Parts: sequence; C-alpha cells; structure tokens
Amino acid sequence: MSSSVPPVSAPTSTTAAGPSAPARVRRGRRYGRAVDRRTALAIPAGALLLALAVWPLAQLGSMSLHTVSAATLNSTWDFVGLDNYAAMLREPDFGQVVVNTVAFVLIVTTIGMVGGFMVAVAVLSSTRGGSFLLGLMVFVWALPPVVNGSIWKFLLADQGLVNQALRALGGQGLGFLYDSKFALWSVALVNAWAVVPFNALVLRAALLGVDPQALEAAELDGARPWQRAWHVLVPAGRTAATVLTILTIVYAFRSFDFIYVMTSGGPGTASTTLPFLAYSEAFLTLDYGRGAATALIALLVVVVLTLIYARDVRRTEGEA
Amino acid sequence: MTRRRREPIAFSIRSLLYVLYGLPLLWIILTSLKSQGEVLSSQASITFDPTLDAYRAAIADPALGAAVRQSAIVAIGTTAVCLALATPAAYALARVRSATVVPALTLLVVLQMVPQTANLIPLFWLLSKWGLLDTTFGLVIADAAMFLPWAILLLRPFFGQIPTAIEEAARVDGAATIRTFWSVALPLARNGFLTVSSVIFLVSWGEFLYGITFMLSPEKYPLSSLIAVQSGAYGVDWPAMMAFAVVSAVPVLVVYVASFRLLSSGLTIGAVK
Repeated sequence: MSSSVPPVSAPTSTTAAGPSAPARVRRGRRYGRAVDRRTALAIPAGALLLALAVWPLAQLGSMSLHTVSAATLNSTWDFVGLDNYAAMLREPDFGQVVVNTVAFVLIVTTIGMVGGFMVAVAVLSSTRGGSFLLGLMVFVWALPPVVNGSIWKFLLADQGLVNQALRALGGQGLGFLYDSKFALWSVALVNAWAVVPFNALVLRAALLGVDPQALEAAELDGARPWQRAWHVLVPAGRTAATVLTILTIVYAFRSFDFIYVMTSGGPGTASTTLPFLAYSEAFLTLDYGRGAATALIALLVVVVLTLIYARDVRRTEGEA
Repeated sequence: MTRRRREPIAFSIRSLLYVLYGLPLLWIILTSLKSQGEVLSSQASITFDPTLDAYRAAIADPALGAAVRQSAIVAIGTTAVCLALATPAAYALARVRSATVVPALTLLVVLQMVPQTANLIPLFWLLSKWGLLDTTFGLVIADAAMFLPWAILLLRPFFGQIPTAIEEAARVDGAATIRTFWSVALPLARNGFLTVSSVIFLVSWGEFLYGITFMLSPEKYPLSSLIAVQSGAYGVDWPAMMAFAVVSAVPVLVVYVASFRLLSSGLTIGAVK
C-alpha cells in the first residue's frame, strides 16, 4: 500500500493486496492508455505542491548561498558561497544546539515508544474504561499544540501545580522552564506526553491482531502478565514499532510548537533544537540566509531518515 | 482468576494515565473559572469562588471573536482546498500502474516530513513576492500545501481497498474516467474522505506558525496564533488564556466526538503525524 502506511495495516493489507496484486498488474497492462488518463487527476495537487512545496525548497537552497536580510529580502541577494554554513559552524552555540537536538529526539522517541506500548497494553482489553481512557488521550493529542504547550507552561510555572505539589511533599520548587538544567527535559517530556496517545493508538491496532490463543497458551504455561506482554505482544508489534519509531524520531526532530510556546528555545539556547534555531535566525535576528542554511541542514537530516523509512516500508510491502 | 491477577497493574497504570491526561484538562477548565488574583495566590486551590469573568472578558474582547472567525475560515478553507486536490490525486496514485508512482510517493513522504521552519523561510519570501502576505488566501494555500502530502498519503489506501472489479464494471458500462472516480470510487471511499477531512480540519485549526508569520497584522491572527503569542508574553493573564484555550478546544471536541470511530481506524491505516 502507500509508503506512508506503517505495517500496522500489514495484516489487513496482506490479505487485501495479496490475491488482487497479480490481477492489478494484468489490468494495468490491459488498460494501457486509460491509465494515463487517470494520471491527470493528480495534476492539480502536483501543481500546488510544485509551486508551494518543491519550488520553495529550491529557493531555500539558493537563500542559504546568499546574504539575505530583511532589507534585501525582496531585492537581489549577494552570492556568498558557503559563508552562511561557515558562520553557522563557527557559532559557539551551534554544538550545544546539535547536542540538544539529539537529546531531545532521544527523550521523545524513547518515552514516546515505551510509553505508547505500555498504554497500548493497558487499554488493550476492550472494556469500556479502556476505550474511554484511550479516547480521552487521543483527544488531548488532537488539541492544538499551542493549547497543550500553554497548559504545561502554566502547570510547570514557579507557582504552578507541579511545583506546589513538590513543595507540599517537602521538596523544593524547580525552575522547570527557566533553569538551563531542566528546560530541555521539560519540553521534551511534554512533547513525549503529547505523542504517546497517538503511538498507543497505532500500537494497539497492531496488538489487536495478536492471536488470543497465543496469549492463552503463554498464560497456561504460567507466564505472568508482563512476561506475556514481553514475550508475546512485543514481538507481535515489532514491525509496527519499527516504522513508528522512525516516524516518532522525525516528529521529535521537527518539533517546534512546544519549544516555541514553553521556552522559546531558552534560557539562552538551552532548549533550542536545529529547526528552532533556523526559525530564530530567520525571523528573530532577520538573517534569512543564515536561517536557510540551518534549515537546509535540518532538512537533510529529515530526508535521510525518510529514505530509511521509505526503504523499510517497501521491504515490509515486499514481504506482504 | 487470571483476570483478577492482571487487573491491579492495569488499574494502576490507568489511574496514572487519568492523572497525566485528565488533570491538565481539568486544570484548564478550573483556571478559566478563577480570578487572576486567585491564580497568582495559589494555583493548586480547588476551593474558590467560580467566576465567569474570564469568559465575559474574553467574549467582550473583540480580538477573540475576530480570531475565532479567522480560524474557522482558515481551517474550513484549508480543508476544502486540501481535500479537493488530494482526493483525485490519491485516487490516481492508488490506481495508476506506472514507474512514476513509487518516486511520487517517496517525494510525498519526504515533503510531509519537511520541518515546517524549512518551508517557512522561502514561503515568506514567495508570498511576499506574490503580494499574498497578510492575506487569508495566502495563509490558506500555504496551509493546504503543507498538509496536502499527508492528506494524499492518508487517503490513498482507502481507494486501494476498493475492489477494481467494481470500477471495471463501470468502465464497461462506458463511464468516463472522471465519472468513474466521482460516482463510483469516491462514494466507496467515503469513510476515508471523512476521516481525512476531520484530520485536516483539526491540524489546520491548530496550526499557528504560518499564522503568526504570514499574517503581519495581529488582528488577523487565527486563534491558535493568538494563544501562542499571548502565552509567550510576560505576565500572562492565565484565566483569560485558559478561557481562550477552552474556546479553541470546543470545535476540536465537536469534530473529534463526531469522528472518533473513523479517526481511530482511519489514522491507524495511514498512520503519520
């Protein structure tokens, strides 16, 4: 099926695509010219994407090789070769930003996947309570990220609920969002919190495909609940999990909304990641060329991850 | 017996999840019913005089009404443009057998994953060149272009599931390409169409970065951009802020409840966030 489809759908797509695949190939040959006519239906979408997605990215590349400031944005740009990239690498905070980005992605992906799996198992039984809980969580995921970010900015504030709870328990209040030791962690944890419901939804769909007899057999053999989860459910969800992991990595890498709302990348650059750095260079310091260079590096990372993902999906499709 | 053995763990995890996901929601609503003074003195208080002052002030604030209207126009416009282009394209990509399909799909996957800031910088220049900055139309087509790859990839499997025999029957009956798409394939992919419409509506309702960047005048900001700017400011008026958040959550709740069944199956078919 589509390359966006994680193997979650593999069980269904295997049965659906399996028998019909050869038939489709035959039909394609038989139709010949009629097939070309249907291609025309993709032209409007292709045109919009060319104008507002592909062409802008080409311009991004061009901007990264020129000096583009607020004053020169709408006139001609001075060609400077790789100066923007050199300046980016010379920036003393750049190393910090790269480390932040890697740490951010690791935190969000690890918690997003492990948490997503645990939630999927916890709501697996189709009791009303489980469905309601999953429904509530997915609703939170569907809320505008700025709303979720604002809630947590509020809860993690100096006099916020979390700090008041800490103090009530005899601890000390922490500067979750303005202490450079915690800012990145706080934003990453909230981001993970926001992605867990979605991952749980996808993983639950994969786990629902597990043969209940396999679980019963494990139970008869005396496996404890979490042993059953580890030995029966984890292997069953593995293909789904592989693709979902790449998706979560990309999601974490491009994350912007929560950083913007909760810390604006601060204090200093303590919670700035690459895509956020590109934004702040272009729209806060108004150095569009520099921002474009940073954004292009971020783009390359995503393209590499995406190609791994696409290859992975194609392999799963090949198996199907 | 086994049930009883499993329940305690599941129960404690579920309770924890209710706290993690239910409590923040509860807290927005509680805070929106407090006065600014009460919030500053103790955020944790559960006993307080509930007041609708924040809502009264929010409703009286002309900025909120304008932002809600703007959000509605942008979200509905984006959904309409996106679906109008994505549906025929998804159908074509599901049906056409040619060597260009796989590269096209790969390109869509890449485009869907481009960091938004990478598009933001050149689009700002492009929209400025075309005189579309600060216009609702410019924002709508920028949003539509951003969500279009995702919409196509989500929709395509729904067309792929339709047995080709049905369409072939229509073709044998002499239906033209567009008619086969419109009156045979589209009705059969209705669930997919509705799922993707809901998803695109929800994400474009929540989109804020294009909003604050391409709209130069703050009175034209959609609601989520307004919330982003307000919560980034110093000395946030939290009850007002939370009243705004509740207002922005209402359409999400309506769309979500109306389409939950569709969403939970549809999203897992073409799962990409």
